[in-house]
Amino acid sequence: MISVEGLVKRFGRREILSGITLSVETGEVAAVIGPSGGGKSTFLRCLNGLETFDAGKVSVCGHALGPHAHDPRMLREVRRSVGFVFQQFNLFPHKTALGNCVEAPVQVLREPRDAAVARAREMLQRVGLAGREDAYPRNLSGGEQQRVAIARALLMRPKAILFDEPTSALDPVMAAEVLGVMTGLAREGQTMIVVTHSMHFARNVARNVHVFAGGRVVEAGPPARVFSDPQHETTRSFLREAGVQAT
Amino acid sequence: MRFLALLLLATAAFADDSWDRALRSGVLRWGADEEGGGPYVFRDDDERLTGFEVDLADAIGRYLGVKMEFVQGQWDRLPDMLRADKIDVVLNGYEWTPDRVLAMEATAPYYVYALQLLARKGALGSWDELRTGATRKVGCLTGSAAHELMEKLAEEGAPIEVVGYDGNTDAMKHVETGNLDATLQDTPIASFYAPHFPALVPVGDPVAPGYYVMYAREGDHRLVNRLNEALIVLFRNGELERIYAKYGMWTKEQGQLATILETGRFFGFQKAALSEAAARGEATAEEVRIGERKRGWAVVTGYGMQLVRAAGITVVLSLLSFPLAVAAGILIALGRLYGPRWLRPPLAFYVEFLRGTPLMLQLYFIFFFLPELGVNIPAFACAILGLAINYSAYESEIYRAGILAIPRGQMEAALSLGMPRRTALRRIVVPQAARIVVPPVVNDFIALFKDTSVCSVVTIIELTKRFSVLSQSTQATVELMLLTGALYLLMSYPLSIVSRRLEQRLEAA
Repeated sequence: MISVEGLVKRFGRREILSGITLSVETGEVAAVIGPSGGGKSTFLRCLNGLETFDAGKVSVCGHALGPHAHDPRMLREVRRSVGFVFQQFNLFPHKTALGNCVEAPVQVLREPRDAAVARAREMLQRVGLAGREDAYPRNLSGGEQQRVAIARALLMRPKAILFDEPTSALDPVMAAEVLGVMTGLAREGQTMIVVTHSMHFARNVARNVHVFAGGRVVEAGPPARVFSDPQHETTRSFLREAGVQAT
Repeated sequence: MRFLALLLLATAAFADDSWDRALRSGVLRWGADEEGGGPYVFRDDDERLTGFEVDLADAIGRYLGVKMEFVQGQWDRLPDMLRADKIDVVLNGYEWTPDRVLAMEATAPYYVYALQLLARKGALGSWDELRTGATRKVGCLTGSAAHELMEKLAEEGAPIEVVGYDGNTDAMKHVETGNLDATLQDTPIASFYAPHFPALVPVGDPVAPGYYVMYAREGDHRLVNRLNEALIVLFRNGELERIYAKYGMWTKEQGQLATILETGRFFGFQKAALSEAAARGEATAEEVRIGERKRGWAVVTGYGMQLVRAAGITVVLSLLSFPLAVAAGILIALGRLYGPRWLRPPLAFYVEFLRGTPLMLQLYFIFFFLPELGVNIPAFACAILGLAINYSAYESEIYRAGILAIPRGQMEAALSLGMPRRTALRRIVVPQAARIVVPPVVNDFIALFKDTSVCSVVTIIELTKRFSVLSQSTQATVELMLLTGALYLLMSYPLSIVSRRLEQRLEAA
């Protein structure tokens, strides 16, 4: 579904990603963890073309992205097949919760508005926001906003969804609401790559965990192994600081 | 009450004449407009002030024993400067007119001029052709005797469209380029500039002779008498002839000056002489009768409608040019932010160039330079085009700032949903930016609304210009100014209210 080979990204002379290789299969939930500044978010943004990269190969749902400039049409295809959920939600402030959800299906998929609205209502209900359809983002809590953002991404029927630290801007209660929705999606077999600081989610929901540090994947594998028997010193110190006890 | 009246009388009796001040300070300030050009007052190749009026002023100064200090002023505003005590004498081709002597003191004439009609070779055969046939455009210096004569002809039904200019040669240039059919000029100008405009020929003989006089502040009788005295002496000793001959303008009509100056048969002389005699307590044989004319607030009631109609022109100019400026501004802003890389530097230059040069110069360029390249645009279209282009630069900066104020995450979220950049702009970024830019855009509109007054340089008579013309002909400057200001406020204030409403509504959404 998604495979990355030797991905290199530089900002000026600073190398952010120094050759990332990993792959995610259909239906897989991959968690990306690691210390801040390890290149996790940049990696995710390279996958849907929000950032260009300098070397390597990225293949997303059958579309191959190369280094530097991207063809805009192909880029749109890639973005249509993978959803993206931002740390800061990035809801459209001039539209209601429902309006945020309906916008892309109507504008991009050319769905009739009525059909899009019906689907959007259903989706908002699924993420626990029935009755909040007409609220503007500024009147929603952070947790509610992030769930609208997830519904907005899901309505595009994406083959995969990329989550960029979806709960980092939320307090624990709201984070739990959002993680609950994400866990539900994982159970239904939604392919997801989740950059997260929630070790609980990585350990219990992900099939594979990738530990990023200094622009490299220092360790990868099923959470049971990575968490109980970390091979790399960086992983060990990171897990210690994150408060995870090796068992 | 009686005491107050006495005090007023006393002040009037002891009030200084400008001549007394000139004697004390040794300086007499005379006002003229360099822009009027040769042969009156202009800069020669060495940037020195020259012209027959400069020579005349110097000769008068030598005779009177005072230094004549030149003060630059816009030609049609010289009487206002006189009233405001910025100058003591107006000496700049000002014709003797019954209206002007109501509000100022006139000296004896120093030159006999006439009006010469000029047209392109073969374009106009005689004056009679002006009275019949197709409508012809005739340009004149705004507020001049030539202007009044043409307006009078037009009022009498001649098919003439009179176009007022701020500078003498502008109209001649426009006859050459074909924007005008003819121009009516004072004889000194027509002969002085003839070599510059070889395409123009005189039509018929000069008409409507009149007198150039100096004007002094109302009540400055002693100054006027000294000036008259100087003129008589300069005429007698041949100095006047020498000066006029130097500029090629000593014509046989100047012989009239002899009669007028020697016999003292001129308005200003009589009035000044009688008044000085009265001040000395001498018996006065006769009284100068001044016809009853509209002054002060009566002018406002009489000419108010003219101002209201001119305000309509102001509104039309604004309403036609602003939408163009907005549309161009949006395109420029989008081009600079999202357009192809090669397009960005020229757009940035466009904005900097138009913001960095005065609107008036840009209008001049469109109006006077484009015709030389063979592009002839009607004055009204020039004005709208000039305003739209100038304001498009300011508008584009407002929109650019508005779009840049929208967080990057908005564009990223839209792109991540698979929207093309164009759709993302149209549906997500621009609607949010629109809320931010409403107040500055309304502000800009109000500024443009007032800037329409600059369009007078391309002969459009809008509110400010109409005020200027009326105040020149009626001398009721203060009253007309108050009415004009009130009209502007009346039109722009509702805009402010609409803007505030719009802001509140967008705030609520």
